[in-house]
Amino acid sequence: MMKFFKNIKGDKAIWGVVALLALFSFLPVYSASSNLVYVVGNGTTMGYLVKHALFLFLGFGIIYGVHKVPTHFFKGLSLIAMPVVLILLVYTLAQGSSSGATNTSRWIRLPIVGFTFQASTLASVVLMIYVARYLTKIKDKVITFSESILPLWIPVFLVIVLILPANFSTAAIIFFMVLVLCFLGGYPIKYLMGIVGAGLLGLTLFVLTAKALPDLFPNRVDTWMSRIESFSNSEDTEADYQIERAKIAIASGGLIGNGAGKSVMKNFLPQSSSDFIYAIIVEEYGLIGGFTLMFFYLLLLFRIVVVANANQTIFGKLLVVGVGLPIVFQALINMAVAVQLFPVTGQPLPLISMGGTSIWMTCLAIGVVLSASIKRTSSEIQSMEMDETNPLEVLSGQL
Amino acid sequence: MAVTEKKILTRLYIVAGFLFVFAFAVVFKMTRIQMVDGDKYKNLAMQRTERMFTIEPNRGNLYSDDGSLLATSVSRYTIRFDAETVKDVDFEENIRPLSNELSKLLSKPSSYYEQILRKAKVNKNRYALIARNLDYSDYIKVKTFPLFKKGPNRGGFIAEQKIVREHPLGKIAERSVGYERVDENGYYTRVGLEGAFGQYLRGVEGKRLKQKIAKGQWKPIGLDNIVEPKDGYDVVSTININIQDIAHHALLRQLEHYKADHGCVIVMETKTGEVKAISNLGRTAEGKYYERLNYAVGESHEPGSTFKLMSMVAALEDKVVDTSTVLDTEKGRFKVYDRTVRDSKWGGYGEISLSKAFEVSSNTAFAKMIHNNYKENPEKFVNRLMNMGLHKELGMPIKGEGAPVIRYPGDKGWSGISLAWMSHGYEVSLTPLQTLSFYNAIANDGEMLRPRLIKEVKEWNKTILKFDKEVINSSICSKETAGKVKQLLKNVVEKKHGTGHGLYTENFSMAGKTGTTQKNYVSKDPDKLKYISSFAGYFPADNPKYSCIVVIHEPDRGVGYYGADVSGPVFKSIAQKIYTISPKTDEVEFLKPQNNELELKYEGYYAEAQKKYSTMPNVKGMSGMDAVSILENLGLKVEVKGNGKVKEQSISQGTDLNKVKKIVLELS
Repeated sequence: MMKFFKNIKGDKAIWGVVALLALFSFLPVYSASSNLVYVVGNGTTMGYLVKHALFLFLGFGIIYGVHKVPTHFFKGLSLIAMPVVLILLVYTLAQGSSSGATNTSRWIRLPIVGFTFQASTLASVVLMIYVARYLTKIKDKVITFSESILPLWIPVFLVIVLILPANFSTAAIIFFMVLVLCFLGGYPIKYLMGIVGAGLLGLTLFVLTAKALPDLFPNRVDTWMSRIESFSNSEDTEADYQIERAKIAIASGGLIGNGAGKSVMKNFLPQSSSDFIYAIIVEEYGLIGGFTLMFFYLLLLFRIVVVANANQTIFGKLLVVGVGLPIVFQALINMAVAVQLFPVTGQPLPLISMGGTSIWMTCLAIGVVLSASIKRTSSEIQSMEMDETNPLEVLSGQL
Repeated sequence: MAVTEKKILTRLYIVAGFLFVFAFAVVFKMTRIQMVDGDKYKNLAMQRTERMFTIEPNRGNLYSDDGSLLATSVSRYTIRFDAETVKDVDFEENIRPLSNELSKLLSKPSSYYEQILRKAKVNKNRYALIARNLDYSDYIKVKTFPLFKKGPNRGGFIAEQKIVREHPLGKIAERSVGYERVDENGYYTRVGLEGAFGQYLRGVEGKRLKQKIAKGQWKPIGLDNIVEPKDGYDVVSTININIQDIAHHALLRQLEHYKADHGCVIVMETKTGEVKAISNLGRTAEGKYYERLNYAVGESHEPGSTFKLMSMVAALEDKVVDTSTVLDTEKGRFKVYDRTVRDSKWGGYGEISLSKAFEVSSNTAFAKMIHNNYKENPEKFVNRLMNMGLHKELGMPIKGEGAPVIRYPGDKGWSGISLAWMSHGYEVSLTPLQTLSFYNAIANDGEMLRPRLIKEVKEWNKTILKFDKEVINSSICSKETAGKVKQLLKNVVEKKHGTGHGLYTENFSMAGKTGTTQKNYVSKDPDKLKYISSFAGYFPADNPKYSCIVVIHEPDRGVGYYGADVSGPVFKSIAQKIYTISPKTDEVEFLKPQNNELELKYEGYYAEAQKKYSTMPNVKGMSGMDAVSILENLGLKVEVKGNGKVKEQSISQGTDLNKVKKIVLELS
């Protein structure tokens, strides 16, 4: 055991924050699972608890495994993973279209274990690493827009276009995070503006096509429209129903909350164990609980900035920011939705919400950040940079 | 493009700064939701998720005067079958045994149940009716039947419980026992005793705050009910099931015999006003009789000759006549203005005393008596009747008491002939219960009691309320008048010429008055002429115990219609049966073998034991047992040696007891 702890490397604060969040997550997940069990009528509360524990256990395995991987390996790994991710996304989309149900196109159902996997989340992490790698590669060059299209924007747009029909908010967040990363990585801002314009144009085209030919895509377009409409004007829609209940939950929480497990609204809030878990947390633990949770995410953000600061390589910095920021960003989006600062999206609260993919991919990202946080001597870095024998490096150098 | 580390960091701080601002916005919005809109949403939460549920209290039981159940609440179960939830294997395996068991319990053929079950399975019926209104013990049995014992999920067993009010007496006194219903607006329909004593029986609804956890699912909040339900009290009514049973069957037999439209009987305890039986039977289209309306309490009608008692009492009280006053019945016709009062006996009774007029029920004599004596001052007669309270309702707790009608001179409907007609019970209207109360008052020497249906309100064995006799009028007439008319009432049955002599028997005495009232006499069509036959009175004639009225409406004229023939026998059979069921006071003396010696000894001991001692008594010569008992009662410790009588006592007689703790007795 002690040996195991000795093998833990990297930023101890991040380890601590992640562990605390994971431990805390059992409380709201256990509480909110009663909704699934008694209202929806699936499974048992103990079952959900065990499942969540299993997810987290595997998640920490992922963190541990990933943080042992030398940072620069991720360059090459992202290159290998990219096509795999694209295939998974295409498969997901195809499966969703054929089954016809609204939400299924977000998931890949693994036939044997009966377990569903959300490919878009994996795609997000891989894409960020990929972009970080590209930005590192061009760091000393002056590039034209057309030069960056093939290695940067084609993969980005492929990923986004494949996610978009089923999951607009994730696609938008990924796109936004890529833009932020490019901004950090010194990609010319004028080109970024062009890309934003093109993105908006593409989105408009997509919406129009979907409207004109409703059968072409799994029809999420109407949902987005209604969600955005309901956010801007207040008519009674399903999103309103959720938001009203989320607000009721927050309001009834008060300063110190109703106490663990005593949420009432968990029974009325759809997705109370994932998308609206923050509202349930505030109801049970009050403003104090909500603020504390917020504080830990901000602490995570702070540590990510510190790690980025401390890392000596450009790739390391961009990598940390690229995979670290989306975690915090996603958390803030989830909270913003609960307090109606943002239209209803299906973003989970990282590390807290129930759901394997979300937990594992957050863990993957944390692992990457931790890997980058491990202090190395400059000679080590030198040798890593120059290691021509590493086939991954060779691959990375070529593209 | 040269990307320096510094440039990245600067931009990172900007991005992180934005995120911090974003986080702050979330915090701000969240605080705002709580602080500004908090109350609104909290109220909304209450509305959406909390509701007050009522818990129905158990309704109290209604008992007869001897503690037999008249009405009680019991659980009834409806059994249904969910064919969808049952596995085909289980179904096929168990359908035969289950059908057989059901058949045994519910006495319908096994094939009947098999068919129902199979049909449910084929139609995927999840709510197939198997049996209704099972009592608890049957429900428990059904629960253990094959397939059903697997429970609701695997066995498809559905049982629904409801509380119903049961009347163990069945149709007897059904109307008087009554019921109480409440509609969704909280308006009560009250019938009979159940309705009258609803306030005691009902109990208090409990309140429980519950929280919605899903559609149709509510969980209780907190450990305690907001208001604990309080079960209703039990009510002991005055109804006696034996008398009720007698009255019911006597009335029923007579109604059937005379094919009458309806009738009622009331039996009241003379001294207390307790209603011992009240039976109301009405004829259905099929010629069957059952408890329909509470005629006894609700139906006000012209009493006819039974009202002659009231006229008689009024006239005697005003001392305008005496029972010995002789009147000419004028060949059975007495003309008042343009109308004629007729006697039922063609040709009348000649010149007769008033007492005989009462006994033979002469209309002309009574019309003459009242008309002639009061025509100058009709108010005097009416005031007299009103002084006796005849114009007032009795104020019964049962809803729907019929209003009596006694017209006052000058009232609408009053005319010159009113006095003559009122004298023998027309142009006035009373309910049977009101008439009975008057007769009971006479039986009680003038003390008028409110008929009473409730004896006691109890919570388990604890008495909550006890009801005593209620006096409406302590003296409606002088004792002297009462004594006179009691003799008349007795004569009606005992004298050979009395209209009620047909009821006479040597075994017991009765007193009463017959009444044969014409109904629809305004109509000239003789076919529409109907009768009300009644008999009101009490028994035994001397020192009366019960008073009773029988009123039978519209007997078949072909069979008979005189009060004495139609209603009288009901009265008699009730009186007879009550007489025979009343315990006789012939006691057989307990034969106790006398043992004088023992008696004496005991008396001696008793006398010793009752004395108060301050010094040591002499116990020598007493039996050991007695001596020990006496000494120990004095607080001494007694040691005994040997057995038999006391020979020696260690402490001698006269020693101060305060100094003595222990004494040794030697017996031989």
